[in-house]
Amino acid sequence: MAAVDWQNLVQGIPSLLSGLLINLEILFGLIALGFAVGIMIALVQVYSPRPFAALAVGYEWFFRGVPEMVLLMLIYFGLRQFQVRITPFIAAVIALGLRSSAYQSQIFRGAIQAVGRRQMMAALSVGMTRLQAIRHVILPQALRLSIPPWSNEFSSVLKDTTLASAIGVIEVFKKARFIMGRNYALALPIFMVVALFFLFLTYVGNWALGALERRYRIPGFEAKGAGERF
Amino acid sequence: MGRRIAILVLPLFLLGLGAVGAEKYIVASDIPWAPFEWASPEGDYLGFDLDVMRCIAVLMGYEIEIRPVAFDSIIPAVVLGEVDIGASGFTITAKREEVVDFSNPYWLSNQAVLVRRDAVFKAPDDLFCCGHKIGAQRGTTGADWVQSNLVDKGVDVQLVLYETYPEAVLDLVNGRLDAVVQDEPASQQSLSAYPDDLKILGVIETNEYFGFLVASGDPKGLLPKINEGMLKLGLRYDLELPVEGQWKVKFRILPDSPWFYLVQAYFGPPLEKVESAWKACIGTLYDETFAPAERVFNFAKCLAERASG
Repeated sequence: MAAVDWQNLVQGIPSLLSGLLINLEILFGLIALGFAVGIMIALVQVYSPRPFAALAVGYEWFFRGVPEMVLLMLIYFGLRQFQVRITPFIAAVIALGLRSSAYQSQIFRGAIQAVGRRQMMAALSVGMTRLQAIRHVILPQALRLSIPPWSNEFSSVLKDTTLASAIGVIEVFKKARFIMGRNYALALPIFMVVALFFLFLTYVGNWALGALERRYRIPGFEAKGAGERF
Repeated sequence: MGRRIAILVLPLFLLGLGAVGAEKYIVASDIPWAPFEWASPEGDYLGFDLDVMRCIAVLMGYEIEIRPVAFDSIIPAVVLGEVDIGASGFTITAKREEVVDFSNPYWLSNQAVLVRRDAVFKAPDDLFCCGHKIGAQRGTTGADWVQSNLVDKGVDVQLVLYETYPEAVLDLVNGRLDAVVQDEPASQQSLSAYPDDLKILGVIETNEYFGFLVASGDPKGLLPKINEGMLKLGLRYDLELPVEGQWKVKFRILPDSPWFYLVQAYFGPPLEKVESAWKACIGTLYDETFAPAERVFNFAKCLAERASG
């Protein structure tokens, strides 16, 4: 690499970082959406009457089965046909968030089932309503159990945010392509820099989730009854 | 917990609504395609097309936002009304005119055939045979030309399509392609990026006119503004006698005009010099102490002087 290439590489870093910020914004949006919807889907799958549970299973089947790139196109270009105008950024958050909600729902479903039906029966027997039991007994344990598989989902969706470039979000991958298009010699180094960014974020994210897991660990707490439906 | 999620998600939706309500025109351009449009290492969007768009916006009193869109998605985006103007070195073709409307032409281009410097071909005809791989950017007239004049006519070549032009050039340099067909100015730019590796084998006289494009029927009345803006910038037209019933347009650029200086700045000097000139000069375009015409003139002249100086 010539001196001018190194100079271009260094000049490009702030631009890449501003792109990475967009990836992080998409990440927080999609994780929040996926978390909220995912928990609801999991609760419906485990606790609601059969027809509703079947609907939730259909939702999960759809959003786990359709490729993310197709979902992005469906949400972004598809909604436009019905005069629903959303920015590429919002479309990315919704498409990737709904996809993540389907995966997250299975993490939470497994965790809720691992807590076991006997705790729900015990909670009901002391006069709690089902919602109270879910809120105060089931979820506090299930969420703890969810952290290890959830960190896997976190790593996965973090990387998925680069897919948003396909519908025109100017995030880090797109910016790297701009820089490559401007100076061909940077094709290899610029994507190495992007790879390092993501390795770093994955490391920090998983470390934080590991710390969260240790912080909320309950000594002696064990899982029972996985796979049951209540 | 629920409230915290709402706090996280709500601003995102407001952001989306805000972007929809803004009143300015969105210009879609396929970045990078130097010297017509590219992003500097710092992330500024510059290039001949984009600065012509900026200057016209200043002259005609509207605002623009430049949005990078993949070349083959620009026309769909304009048709769907997602963006207002396509400014990306679009050749005016009858096929495109079925779905969009074009401004007056602003550039005449031909297709150049780019090959590696060590290639044994003496003329384009030597290349167009024997299963050679020819790269082009998807949706461009260069790709169209290879498809309709070679592939469809049974010439033994393989057309390889790329989403961006630089990726095709990269594959040419790395030996995965035998040639790349692309507009002349962009090919010249690749040549100056790779003086030791590439050469232009020949030019195919396609006589293509570039135009800016808007949705069919020009629902926002932009074409008169763009055409008037180009006149004000110093672009004139002479008509030549019709050849095969088609009038041939000849461009005449007024000396000492913004258009003259923009051409001087963007077609010739290396990209680094244009970028540093642009960074130094762009402020003059938005310096409200001057009248719009003066701002545009000062900017173009500043750009040309610093880029070639």
